[in-house]
Amino acid sequence: MKFNYIKTVALAAIATAFISCSSDDDATGEVIGDTYGDVEFYFDNGAAGNSLILGVPFTNSMDEALTVNKLNYIVSNFVLIDADGNEVVYPKEESYFITNQQDEVKTVHLENVPAGDYKAVRFGIGVDEQRYLQGETAQQSFWDLAAANDLTWTWSTGYRFVVFEGTFTSPENAEPLLFKVHQGSNTETDNYREVTLTLPTTARVREGETPSIHLITDVNKLLDGETKISLHDNLNQAGTAAAIMGGENLIKIADNSTEMFTVDHVHNGAGHHHE
Amino acid sequence: MIGLLALSFISCNKDDGYEAVVNERLDFVVPANFPAPAQDIEHNYPTQKGFELGRKLFYDTRLSANNTISCSFCHEQENAFTHHGHTFSHGIYDQEGTRNAPAVQNMAFQSQYFYDGASDAIDMLSIAPIHNPVEMDETLENIAVKLKQDKEYVKLFNQAFEGGQITSGNILKALGQFMTMMVSANSKYDKFVRSEPPGNNFNQKEMQGLELFRQKCASCHATDIFTDSSFRNNGLPPNPNLNDLGRETVTGFKRDRYKFKVPSLRNVELTAPYMHDGRFGSLESVLNFYRNGMTDSETLDEQLRAEDGTLGIPLTDEEKEALIAFLKTLTDEEYINNPLFYYQT
Ligand code: HEC
Ligand code: HEC
Repeated sequence: MKFNYIKTVALAAIATAFISCSSDDDATGEVIGDTYGDVEFYFDNGAAGNSLILGVPFTNSMDEALTVNKLNYIVSNFVLIDADGNEVVYPKEESYFITNQQDEVKTVHLENVPAGDYKAVRFGIGVDEQRYLQGETAQQSFWDLAAANDLTWTWSTGYRFVVFEGTFTSPENAEPLLFKVHQGSNTETDNYREVTLTLPTTARVREGETPSIHLITDVNKLLDGETKISLHDNLNQAGTAAAIMGGENLIKIADNSTEMFTVDHVHNGAGHHHE
Repeated sequence: MIGLLALSFISCNKDDGYEAVVNERLDFVVPANFPAPAQDIEHNYPTQKGFELGRKLFYDTRLSANNTISCSFCHEQENAFTHHGHTFSHGIYDQEGTRNAPAVQNMAFQSQYFYDGASDAIDMLSIAPIHNPVEMDETLENIAVKLKQDKEYVKLFNQAFEGGQITSGNILKALGQFMTMMVSANSKYDKFVRSEPPGNNFNQKEMQGLELFRQKCASCHATDIFTDSSFRNNGLPPNPNLNDLGRETVTGFKRDRYKFKVPSLRNVELTAPYMHDGRFGSLESVLNFYRNGMTDSETLDEQLRAEDGTLGIPLTDEEKEALIAFLKTLTDEEYINNPLFYYQT
């Protein structure tokens, strides 16, 4: 993520000013007011309890075996919540991120988050309605990033929130057929969703300490969550491929996608980071 | 600390190498007879430099893959920014699309764009024509690459967006600002309803047409934008060669089959041919269709079905004439001749 230069300098200046007044160097782990640290989210993709490996099939509860060859998605609008329920909302213009399984882009890095002990997090899956362009600042272009990761729709004009593609077999088709699930909003249905997750361990944000929140994303839930969506039932008329890109299915998938994330563990301290 | 902050700003300015220019906010005025804008103008409020940049982009063929087609190629000012005489707009590599180019005007007052509502944001809608393989067949990312080679553009983006770079987002915003300012509100009709000058009147035929319009047409062609941005099936027989499903293409819902966005009727005298596929060459033909050319289907708008089951809007020949006289009062010469929207170097 590129960072707004002016703001960084200003925050650094403010932070420096406060630090120089303080004598304690956080040896006790106390939260020092007006200091800042970073937070990392690590999105570890899995499928029905196992690791997701592109090219290797997994079987869902409808007896369909999916071989995924592409999984990219957008996460956004990060919020950290402390024990008292106070919320730190990450600046919206900088709060849009992509993950990409193929290219191993799995980490979301938030900078200059107020020091604190955080108990829960909230974030969105996709891009919220009417705020398409918030990810665009004078210096960065979220559109370009999303387009490079196949996360844009250009015949209509929005973002794909999740791109989930591969081949599948089912009790009705033994030979593998293509599937493409493109999740997103359109001008009729708002398919952006948010999830709030309690952390199993407090995430301690301190100056110089970056907690890493390790999430597991169960991609199986997209089609096999509260609502079951069979790929075979969604074959095109020729019976050659299943493309799910609109209509009721997007609403169901949006709701299923909120079941996808769990926080596995939190690393605190300066060391052991992913990437 | 204030000193420090100031310093950091100064160093930013030095970095980009341009003199600070004054970039005034433009005066976006809502005409007295208009409803409130349907887009959040503040989100990307038009400035002098942003508007000028948007205009330059609108007329620039580098927005297409082989540098031959600009937005203005299909949206010509003298025809209220439509592609006059083309049933289907033809675009890059001389290909034809399947829809007729609608007027670009009063976009900020509309909540949905394109006949199927493929976009609902003025700052995003340009994505569709740019990427459409039969229109411009380009990508925003590649346009940015091309424009970066042009020093003039580097400067203009920098001025329009406070040190901004040439990015996809800023290209979209500049085009959005240009379209936000494209307001047509000075037709004979507008002046009549605003009493400019006081006592300004319609002749008898136009008056009759206005009354008929309010009774029979204004439920869909609503407000002084002459559309409510809704999607409706007005009974056009589907064209079997195209089988354009309309709104269903976007939503995936069967209930939206053959529904198309209600087009604004401003400048309609200048925007022939008519309907999403440009099937009608004259207003007369349009009214003949409303009178007795409709096809029934599950999604036909209920208002077009009479209690006895007959379809259409009853109109006598005299009423047709009056309606056409009224529709012609929606022509806005000031808009189509406004030098603010001309191509300028
Ligand atoms: C090849 C011809 C062509 C080019 C080039 C083109 N357009 Fe269009 N434009 C069309 C057609 C056709 C439609 C209707 C498409 C539809 O409804 O699906 C349209 C629709 C629109 C609309 C929607 C109007 C409404 O009432 O919903 C806007 C706004 C617009 N174009 C702006 C632009 C801009 C900005 C550009 C340049 C980036 C551009 N167009 C380039 C042909 C073109
Ligand atoms: C039930 C809603 C409805 C009513 C009532 C209605 N229209 Fe329309 N009108 C539409 C829709 C929807 C379209 C676009 C259809 C398409 O392109 O497929 C349209 C298109 C048109 C067009 C073509 C405009 C263009 O730029 O292509 C004209 C002209 C028009 N209507 C005039 C009228 C007149 C005059 C009346 C009253 C006699 C009327 N309409 C009543 C919904 C309506």
